Amino acid sequence: MSALSQIPPDLIEMMERGVSVHVASHDARQRPSVMRAVGSSVDAAQGCVTVYVSRLQASQLVLDVSSTGHVAAVFSEPFSHRAVQLKATSATLRNAEASDVPVLACYRESMEREVQKVGHPAGVASAMLAHRLEDLVVISFEPELAFEQTPGPKAGSALKEGGR
Amino acid sequence: MSEPQLCDIRPCLEGVIPAVMATCAADGMPNAAYISQVYYVDERHVALSFQFFNKTRQNILANPYATVLLLHPQTAAYYRLHLHYLRTETEGPLFEGMKAQLAGIASHAGMQDVFRLLGSDVYEVERIEAVAGEPLPAPPARSGMLNAARRCSERLARCTSLDETLNAVLATLTDFLGVRHAMVLMLDSAAQRLYTVASCGYSTSGVGSEIGLGQGVIGTAARERTPVRIMHMTNAYLYSQAMRSSLEANVPGAEAATEIPYPGLKEPHSQLAVPVMSAGRLLGVLFVESPRDMEFSFEDEDMLVAMAGHLGAAIDLMQAGTEAPEPSPAAAPRPSTSGAPLAVKRFAANDSIFIDDHYLIKGVAGAILWKLLKEHAQGRSDFSNRELRLDASIGLPDVGDNLEARLVLLRRRLDEHGPHLRIEKTGRGRFRLAVQRPVNLTDMA
Repeated sequence: MSALSQIPPDLIEMMERGVSVHVASHDARQRPSVMRAVGSSVDAAQGCVTVYVSRLQASQLVLDVSSTGHVAAVFSEPFSHRAVQLKATSATLRNAEASDVPVLACYRESMEREVQKVGHPAGVASAMLAHRLEDLVVISFEPELAFEQTPGPKAGSALKEGGR
Repeated sequence: MSEPQLCDIRPCLEGVIPAVMATCAADGMPNAAYISQVYYVDERHVALSFQFFNKTRQNILANPYATVLLLHPQTAAYYRLHLHYLRTETEGPLFEGMKAQLAGIASHAGMQDVFRLLGSDVYEVERIEAVAGEPLPAPPARSGMLNAARRCSERLARCTSLDETLNAVLATLTDFLGVRHAMVLMLDSAAQRLYTVASCGYSTSGVGSEIGLGQGVIGTAARERTPVRIMHMTNAYLYSQAMRSSLEANVPGAEAATEIPYPGLKEPHSQLAVPVMSAGRLLGVLFVESPRDMEFSFEDEDMLVAMAGHLGAAIDLMQAGTEAPEPSPAAAPRPSTSGAPLAVKRFAANDSIFIDDHYLIKGVAGAILWKLLKEHAQGRSDFSNRELRLDASIGLPDVGDNLEARLVLLRRRLDEHGPHLRIEKTGRGRFRLAVQRPVNLTDMA
């Protein structure tokens, strides 16, 4: 069962809206790789999460996810520091296509609002998320584990069914 | 794209935007976590803040490799650091420098009750990757810093006294770095306290006010012999508060009368203190502050460290010069005194001096003034640094103690107090006590 069902509704709403997402994996020598996603979408009904990274920015991460299937993704709201980490062991990859464009546009609009809330001009979000569609790799996974990641005493604890 | 060096990405290491750190558990599960500080240690090392016993911590102890994603705060360019964990420091200069910076970051983020530095994790930087992207144009590089260093060097090289040297440093800060509020404090090694000898930009000079080693940004910079820089307002390092509480805790009520108020800003948002050292010894602290956030960058820190080095050398040279005084000048005829007598009281317990019941000074500077006044009553006006150094009654802590700085402190306190008692320089290592009114000396021992 997808670990999304264990995440409280307010955090699911936050993830669906579009906040900062960072994705990590590792190679065969257990060396970690990491990059910011330029888009995300959450399908709570299907228990599935999708993140977009640029192959130009995240070549090692893409290689690592494709060879190990392991992925960790942190969703974080910059203004409140609320954060969730998802983990999966059988992520899949595909190239982005035209049908992904609306999701990416929606995510970008949300992130422009998020970075302005913490005092940066909207141009910062545009620069942070700049990409060409043909360079994007779509990483999809069904989260097996979900963790509270908001800084504080509960950070790192597994999110249990029924929420907080 | 050639690989950047750590010095190229120092704006990313100011704690403005949190970094993201990836680690990998022994079982092969990756982990990503925000990290408040990626702190510049040297060209090959960074230190990351260890704040929680979390998954990152477990992972790094089991598998010492980390990859950190940095975002440039102005251009939004990404950099990846490939790191190898070496050790954790829980005290000392690096730890204290990070702790102070983190206090500012935590306060700014509303996390003052959550963020606490447990350790400084030192990592070797194996590789720095510039990540492809479409960053914003970089703001123009800050110009004029090297020129400011040159002007400061020129000014200091022309100085012939500690007074002039202190003024030259403060003037350089004001004229070339846009600093509005600054202080120089000297170390009293016996008392393990710092006393203010010069300041600019405050409603009162605060000359003579004291700070304990380890107290606030200034005291921490002195105790750890390291620059300490805070970029946001934080209660954790407020001096006024720290000083009041230590005053209440440690000093009996009678002593409060001998406290000269600390002149610093009530709500500083940016603070930078750097130790003034010479020949491996701590001489004092150079301190600047501002009511605005993020006023002092790593470049200001570099500049102040350079200035403090020059200042330290100059202070030591002045000291050496005044220990071998010029031949005694012909004693000037003593001007006659007139008017109502000044009532000067000395309390032997702490060598505190009161003039007409107003507190003036205590400690070594108080003992010096008492000696001068007693000898003046015997008919002397001209004195040398050397005789003060040799006089056991003054109680100079050791030969390393800066007598010249004590005289600067005394002279400035007298100047602020009024025109009737003055110390005037008459040559290298020589000075005159000028007294305009009759003096009644009362020893309260």
